[in-house]
Amino acid sequence: MKIIVCIKQVPERDAQVRISSSGKWIEESDIQFAMNESDAYALEEALQLKEKHGGEVIVLSAGPERAGTTIREALAKGADRAIQVESDNLNQLDALGVAQLLSAAAKQESPDLVLTGLQSDDLGYGQTGVIMAELMGLPHASLILNVEKTDNGVTVKRELEEGWFQNIDLSLPAVLMIQSGGTKLRYATLMGIKKAKTKELRKVSAADLGQSAAPAATLEKITQPQKQKSTQIIPGSPKEAAATLVEKLKFEVRVI
Amino acid sequence: MSLLSATLAEPQSFATWEKLLLSALIIASAMLFFRRLAPILNRILKSRKDPNFSLAPLRKRIWDFFWEVVCQAKVIRERPLPGLAHAFVFWGFCAFALVTLNHFAVGFGLGFLDPVGFFGRFYSWFAAIFAAACAIGIFGLFVRRFFVRPRWLGEKISYESGIIAALIFILMVTYLAAFAVKSASPAALALWWIHSLSILVFLPIIPHTKHLHLVLSPATIFLSRGGFSKIPPLVGDEDFGLVTGKDLTQLTSLQSYSCVECGRCTEHCPANNTGKELNPKEIILGLRGYLNEFGPSSEQNIIGKYNSITADFQCTTCGACEYQCPVGIEHLPIIIGLRRGAVNTGAWEDEHGAKLFLALERGSNALGMSASERDKFIQKQAFPIFDGTQEYCLWLGCMGGYDPKGREIVADFARVMNYLGTSYGVLRKEKCTGDPVRRLGNDLLFQQLAESNLETLAQNRVKKIVTICPHCVRTIQEDWKEFGTPPEIEHHSEFLARYADKLPKRSEGAEGFNPRNTSTIQERVSAPAETPVAEQRQVSGHDFSHAENIPDPSGALAPAPQTPNNKIVFHDPCYLGRYRNVYEEPRAVASLAGEVVEAPRSHERSFCCGAGGGLVFLGEETGDRVSHNRANELIATGASTIGTACPFCNSMFRDALAEKGDAAPQLLDIAQLTARALPKSSAAQS
Repeated sequence: MKIIVCIKQVPERDAQVRISSSGKWIEESDIQFAMNESDAYALEEALQLKEKHGGEVIVLSAGPERAGTTIREALAKGADRAIQVESDNLNQLDALGVAQLLSAAAKQESPDLVLTGLQSDDLGYGQTGVIMAELMGLPHASLILNVEKTDNGVTVKRELEEGWFQNIDLSLPAVLMIQSGGTKLRYATLMGIKKAKTKELRKVSAADLGQSAAPAATLEKITQPQKQKSTQIIPGSPKEAAATLVEKLKFEVRVI
Repeated sequence: MSLLSATLAEPQSFATWEKLLLSALIIASAMLFFRRLAPILNRILKSRKDPNFSLAPLRKRIWDFFWEVVCQAKVIRERPLPGLAHAFVFWGFCAFALVTLNHFAVGFGLGFLDPVGFFGRFYSWFAAIFAAACAIGIFGLFVRRFFVRPRWLGEKISYESGIIAALIFILMVTYLAAFAVKSASPAALALWWIHSLSILVFLPIIPHTKHLHLVLSPATIFLSRGGFSKIPPLVGDEDFGLVTGKDLTQLTSLQSYSCVECGRCTEHCPANNTGKELNPKEIILGLRGYLNEFGPSSEQNIIGKYNSITADFQCTTCGACEYQCPVGIEHLPIIIGLRRGAVNTGAWEDEHGAKLFLALERGSNALGMSASERDKFIQKQAFPIFDGTQEYCLWLGCMGGYDPKGREIVADFARVMNYLGTSYGVLRKEKCTGDPVRRLGNDLLFQQLAESNLETLAQNRVKKIVTICPHCVRTIQEDWKEFGTPPEIEHHSEFLARYADKLPKRSEGAEGFNPRNTSTIQERVSAPAETPVAEQRQVSGHDFSHAENIPDPSGALAPAPQTPNNKIVFHDPCYLGRYRNVYEEPRAVASLAGEVVEAPRSHERSFCCGAGGGLVFLGEETGDRVSHNRANELIATGASTIGTACPFCNSMFRDALAEKGDAAPQLLDIAQLTARALPKSSAAQS
């Protein structure tokens, strides 16, 4: 099975983001980057499929030079080769623009399966995979926890609301959007990193792919979330106060 | 006087056939000895060369050799009775070198020590004293091995040991008996032959039994890596640690053949003592077994027939084994080497281990929390940010920055520094030093963390670090050297001990000993929640936009014991004691707050809390919990307070004591003990 995994490099989880002077993006110079979390699960799913059924796992990533470290990480974990779509203005593209780049590169490989993470941890559109499927003319499914290969294609397990799951069959090729937590991730190893050095990383530009990036939607402005705190003193006897507290936790805050 | 006038009887002449027989026996014995020894030496020498091995500093090597081999200091110190018995056997052998040479020379009519001459008489008596001591010593050791049978010596009775003991005993007795017979008598001749045959039988038994240590261990001690738990760097693209025979270095092979199977390592191993599979002696003997079967150029995995991966990952890296070993075996580089091999190649699969690694791949701390939690803590404590002007960089570490109890310790230590007027600051960003991943063998992560931290420290022009965590101290000072030059670092016990005369001393029975007298800390940790965010920004000049609640640490404090007293039992953390040789400083600090009492196992023999080697992150233990074992020992001293100097020990005991309910002593770091004696006004300073 030939599997493409789309991976995005995003600011690392602990990063303290500051808004850049343009007000349209964050200051990138003083933060570190990491693999998008749900993409890491997509990669893991692909690697497990390959280990069970054989084939090839190709990493596909759009991003600037720095994305190379995340691509190497994916190669270190066991992907066979990688394609990087060079893009210095990824944050100015909308989901359509990114999907156009990725699907153009993916098409050239004629994969059996394209996996993406459910959404990116930075912009969080959650659309790239869906649009890619549309552009490639392939069936797709989202919110996936698990992928099993069958004789006719794949069976995927989707997570629905309130603890419900849905299993659906798809024929191949298909595009699947994987969500976090469905499996256990593997850790990167020294041996993997050393092997990754010799693996192929092919770089292509948007022009090579025949794509001109003009976003249909533009990012106007980003802001830090405003934080508000309020403290309520619940009056009454301890018994009454406790009852009121339980009410509030149940129906206002909805945590119990 | 009549006894002292006795001389050593020697046969006067030997027939030619006797000389021929003797020659044949000597040649046969020596050939057998070398035929058995040669393949072993070959396996050691054919092993991979040790990277970065250097004989320097030679002076230390010579001293170690003198102290540990010649003086038998470690052998005696750690097990006085059997140690002395062994020392007498050893010294007896040394004294006998000349006697034995002369003994065989006599057989060829070439004796050079005249039993009636001045030196000959003196030396034969000198050797006789050792012979007597050696005979008593070996008899004692024989009784111990075959009748007392301490379990460290192993389940199986080694009959070869019995034969060796008998031979040594015969050697000594035949020597001594020769003083009671006349020269040139048939009795003298018989004694001479029995003595000779004993030596010639003894020799070929040496190489394939643990008595090989006679030959190898002096070299092993002399050629040690130099430094406690010194982990060798990985070299080239094919080195991932101890994976196959090809990865065994000459020192590792030499050490595995030097093992004398005394079981001191096992006796002190916290894992083995709490019913786990790990037995450090078997790790070493496993390598020997592997080398015997597969050899040093084999590509067969070491983990397998001769080594259990489960056992490898039960080690807390407390280092008791390495510290105890009388023949210079360095267990930690071997156990960590095996872990490196398993982790660096991805062979180790462990849910908790993978979780820890992923937390550090993606985040900054081993606790898997968001870095903003550390920012909030710094914010609430109003710690100054290090800007290069302060004397000390206060390194928080994962425990100090994220763990509720660790935070209390840091907060109290900061109060003491404020009281002393020491200038310090904390880094805006700090990553885990890599201690748990270093000990678990994840070299990729360790390198990334070390390099990233070294860069941060260099950017901030940090010259001196002080921290509450002995694991951070060790890792920064020793392990980071592989990737750069770390700044000077010290543990807070060393810092506090230096200022001991400026710190307030608590008078006996002071009210502050009530463990519930922790309001200052509680207030400091949880009160500033009301402070408006804007004002907080002003304090630090930094944007902290997520001021959440810091967990209330007060719940972690153990209740007072039934009969409060002024006694503090200090628990030596492995990474401060055995790793850093710091024993007296924390005691000096603790003694300001009360009377320091000792647990049965203390100082170099301290028993681990169970957290080290990354094990605190690996979930439930098999067998008993190491922490409970140690906590019970500390409670049994009757002290009202358990004093610690490591946030990991503190965390382990916190859990162990929680089960004891009201009977549990209170648990305090030495920084907390010190802070409690500070005048109240200083609590308001920041």
